Amino acid sequence: MAKTLLIHLRSGSMMNMDSNVAVKLARAAIEKGYNVRMFGYGEGITAIKEGQDPKRFPNVGKEIGELVQKGLTVVVCGTCCAARGIFRGEEVKGTMIGSLTNDLSKFVSEADRMVTLAR
Amino acid sequence: MRMAESILFLMTKAPYGLEEYFAGSRASLAMLASGLIGRSTLLLVGDGTLNAVATQEPQAIGMPSNMEATNDLEDFEGEVYAIAEDLQARVGEVAVLPSVKLIAWDKARELVSEHGIITTF
Repeated sequence: MAKTLLIHLRSGSMMNMDSNVAVKLARAAIEKGYNVRMFGYGEGITAIKEGQDPKRFPNVGKEIGELVQKGLTVVVCGTCCAARGIFRGEEVKGTMIGSLTNDLSKFVSEADRMVTLAR
Repeated sequence: MRMAESILFLMTKAPYGLEEYFAGSRASLAMLASGLIGRSTLLLVGDGTLNAVATQEPQAIGMPSNMEATNDLEDFEGEVYAIAEDLQARVGEVAVLPSVKLIAWDKARELVSEHGIITTF
């Protein structure tokens, strides 16, 4: 049975390299056959905002959209989204705005390993 | 299939000015409230031990209270520990929140080994 990796992302998509590391880690783990889940909390929720258009940097939203097609599950904290003015319908297709209680707790309970990426 | 049944939150940041303690303690509360995680524990280390101080007055700066966030965990039997020597080194002898247990590093090492997942705030 494939093991499950949970990536806990707390840095914003353009703050530093954390979101890029999260995407690269997710891609590598998926290619090795892991189930990979990502939960965005705090500034980490910005990774799933649709329409990101960084001119000179990797497009985290686009890469997450591609990885979702390969099996990556991505959920972010809804309270954190609301606090930052991001609402359902603005997320990258295939990702979900959820909650700590319903989603992160389930991900933690089913994870073999969790990696936290934070500033 | 359930794999991780416990999670330890290492709380490393001082209160107010940074969101980490409030965010981490709320995440811990959510773990317990979900009923999916049997044990969710806060371990305050380094500057994070300052969150244990009982005389915080967050209303002075209009911020949510980290003390309330800590005490809310008691309602779900969440455990909160702080490294005594780290707090002592920063502020000397001070009153701490009743819901926080002051411990030594030996006990902290036991906590780390007892939990399936560890995260840092």
